[in-house]
Amino acid sequence: MKKFFQRLILFGLVFFVLDKLFYIFLYAAPHLEADKRLELLLNGKINKDVIVMGSSRGAYNIIAGQIEKETGKTSYNISYAGSNIQFHLFLLKTVLKYNKKPQIVVLSLDDPSEFLFDKSLNFRLDRLYPLEKYTYINQELIDQNDKSKFSWFLYLARLNKSNFTFTKKKEALESPILSCGSMPFLEKFSKKELVFDTKQKHYFITKELKNKRKAFLEFQHICNANNIKLIYCFAPNFRVYNPVLENRIKSIALRENKFFVYDTNISAYKHKKYFHDVSHLNMRGAKLFTSELSKFINLNK
Amino acid sequence: MLFNSFNFALFLPLVFILYWFISNKNLKFQNLLLLVASYFFYSCWDWRFLFLLIFSTLLDFFSGIQIYKSNNASQRKFWFWLSIIINLGFLGVFKYFNFFADSLKDLFSVFGFQVNMWSLKVILPIGISFYTFHGLSYVIDIYKKRISPEKNYIDYALFVSFFPLLVAGPIERATHLLPQIKKERTFNYNRAVDGLRQILWGLFKKIVIADNCAVYANMIFNNSADYSGSTLVMGALFFTFQIYGDFSGYSDIALGTSRLFGIELLQNFSFPYFSRDIAEFWRRWHISLSSWFKDYLYIPLGGSKGGKWMQIRNTFIVFLVSGFWHGANWTFVVWGLLNAIYFLPLLIFNKNRYHLEIVANQSNLPSFKEFMFMLITFGLTVFAWIFFRANNLHHALQFVDGIFSKSLFSVPNIRPTYIILLLLFFMMLEWLGRKDKYALEKMGFQYHSLFRWSMYTVLLIAIFIFGTKEQEFIYFQF
Repeated sequence: MKKFFQRLILFGLVFFVLDKLFYIFLYAAPHLEADKRLELLLNGKINKDVIVMGSSRGAYNIIAGQIEKETGKTSYNISYAGSNIQFHLFLLKTVLKYNKKPQIVVLSLDDPSEFLFDKSLNFRLDRLYPLEKYTYINQELIDQNDKSKFSWFLYLARLNKSNFTFTKKKEALESPILSCGSMPFLEKFSKKELVFDTKQKHYFITKELKNKRKAFLEFQHICNANNIKLIYCFAPNFRVYNPVLENRIKSIALRENKFFVYDTNISAYKHKKYFHDVSHLNMRGAKLFTSELSKFINLNK
Repeated sequence: MLFNSFNFALFLPLVFILYWFISNKNLKFQNLLLLVASYFFYSCWDWRFLFLLIFSTLLDFFSGIQIYKSNNASQRKFWFWLSIIINLGFLGVFKYFNFFADSLKDLFSVFGFQVNMWSLKVILPIGISFYTFHGLSYVIDIYKKRISPEKNYIDYALFVSFFPLLVAGPIERATHLLPQIKKERTFNYNRAVDGLRQILWGLFKKIVIADNCAVYANMIFNNSADYSGSTLVMGALFFTFQIYGDFSGYSDIALGTSRLFGIELLQNFSFPYFSRDIAEFWRRWHISLSSWFKDYLYIPLGGSKGGKWMQIRNTFIVFLVSGFWHGANWTFVVWGLLNAIYFLPLLIFNKNRYHLEIVANQSNLPSFKEFMFMLITFGLTVFAWIFFRANNLHHALQFVDGIFSKSLFSVPNIRPTYIILLLLFFMMLEWLGRKDKYALEKMGFQYHSLFRWSMYTVLLIAIFIFGTKEQEFIYFQF
C-alpha cells in the first residue's frame, strides 16, 4: 500500500510540474488574437461613458468613435457577431467588475431573434478560449459547463486543440476592427443582389426561450441597480420594419429604459447601397444610423 | 456522476481510502461501505430511482430465498414468475411502454383508424436494463438449482449495485461476483496498478477517441441529407469508433475501478474490430450481454440441439431480442436482424466457431486472407451501426441511400485530419496489445519503467487536451 501511494504521489507531482510547462500555450494565445477587446476589458482598459453591446448588428452597424465625436462622450463597442443575450450579460458583468461603470449602455437588439432560438446566436465560448489564462474566464467556462473543474489547478485542462498553434489570427478583410471596437463593413464588399423585403415577419411569444428572457431581465436589472442608462437599439434590416419585437420588449422593460428605433421614414434604409447584406448596414449605412443614435443620446443626456 | 467527471475523481479516491484504511480487515464493513457508496453514486443521477433499485433488489433477494425454501413445485414457480414478471414489468413500463403505444397507434392508422394512445411521461431509470438482468440471472440460477440464494442482504445488494458496473455493466453473474464479495480481500499492489492503468486506457478511449469522433458523427448524422456519399461513409466510420471507444472505454474504467477494490469483473470487450467473421465479433463485443443471452435465452430455447433450423431460429430470436434490449426503437431491431443475417452463412456452413483465437496470434501481422476477412467483417459492422445510430428507420434508409450515390467516390466534405491521425494511433496501440485483456495491459513492460511512465503521461496529456466537456456514455440510455 505504501509503495502504491508513494508511486502515485510521485507520478502526480511529476505530472503537476509538467503541466505547468503548458502555461506557455496559455500565455501565447491572447497575443495571437486579432480581436483584443475582451482582454482589454479584463485588464480594465475600457473606461468609457458609452458602451455598445450586441451581436453583429451592434458590431457592424454602430460606430462608437462617431458617437464619441457627436456626443462628446467617450465610447467603445464590445459587440460580438453571433453572440446572444447571455453573452452580452456576461460582458456587462465583466465591464462592471474590471472597469469604470459606464453612464450609458446601448444594447443592440436582434430583431426578431432576441428571445427566439437562432442557431447563429450563441454564447461565444470561442472568444473565451484564448483568454483561458485568466482565472475569471476559466471560471466562466466552468460555469458554462464547458470546462471541467480540473482546470482550477491544471493548465492542461484549460487548453484546447486550438491552442497548439502559433499562427497569428488575421483580421476580417471585410470589416476590420476600428480602435473604438466597432467593425463596420467596408462598402466595396457589399453584396450586389439585395432585394428589399416588404413582407412583415411574424413573431410568436410562445416560441421565446426562457433562458434568453431571464438573461435579458437580469441585464436590465443590473443596469438599473448600477444607475446605468440603458438604451435598447433597433437597427434597420433590409426589409419593412415590424414593431412587434419593440412592443414585446416594451412590455417587459423597465420604465426608465429608453428605446431607440431607426427612422423608418428615411428612404436610404430602403436603398441597397447602404447595406452589406439583408441584416447589416455597410460603412455608409452605419454612419447614417450612428448619427441618428448620437442625436438620440444627446437628447437623452 | 460520470466516470469522466471531476466529481468522480473526488469520489473514487475517497471511497478507496475509506475502503482500505478505515474498513480494512473487516469484510462486512467493507461491503457495507461499497454498498453505501454505490447507492450514493446512483442517487447522484436521480435519487428517486434509488427506491426502484432497492425494491428490485429486495424482490429478487426474497424471491431467491423463497424459491430455494419451497418444497413444492408450484410455490417455486410462483416466486420465480413473480420475480420475473415484476422485473420485466418495470423494464416494460419504463423502457417500452411508449414504444408499444406508438407502434400500436401507427398500426391502427395504417388501417385508417386514428387512436389517441395513452403515453407515459417518464424518464428511463439509468442502468435499469443492466441491474434487471443481474437480478434475472440470479433468480433463474436459483430456480434451475445452479446456485443457492445469498442470505446476506448487504452482500446481495452489492452484487446488484456495485457502483463500477451499476449503470452500464458488465452484466455480472452471481456465480462470478458473489464469491468475490464473500471473500476477504487484501490490497495487492500489482492489481491496483493494473486497475489504474485500465482506467487510464478507458478514459483515453472515451474522452479522446469517442468524444472527438462524436462531434463529427453527430454533425454528419444530424444533417445527413446535406452530405455526399463519401462523407456519409466517414460519418458511419466515426460512429463506429465512437461507440467502441465509448462503451469499451466505460467497461475499462469499470473493470479498473473494481480492481482497485480487489474485485474482478467480467471482461466485456476483446478487440472486436479485429474479428474475422461476425461470430467472432460477437464473442468479442459486449461479451457479458452476449453470454447472458446465450445462457438465459439461446440455450433454454433449445440452442443448437434441435438441428440446423432450430439453431437458426434461436439465433434470430437472440439477435432480435438483443437489438430490442438496446432501445425501444425499430432501428435497434433492424440492427439486431442485420447481425442475425450476417450470422446466417456461418451457421449454415458450420463456421460459427471458426476463429476462437485473436487474429495473428503467433505473428505480428495478419495474412492477406485474414486481413480481407477483418476488412469485410468491419465493413458489415459499420453498415449495421448506421441503423443503430439513426434516429428512425426512415433516417437510416435515407442515410444508406445517400451513401450509395454517385457522390460515394467524391472527396468527403468533412475530413478532420487530427481525428484520422488519432484513430490510426489508437488502432495501432490496439493492434499491439491485442493479445492482452486491454491494449495497455502489458504495453512497454519490456522497457524501463521510465518509458511506461512517459507513455502514461502522454496519454494523460492527450486526455486533457482533446477532452471536450464531460459527455455522457451512450450505453447509459439503455
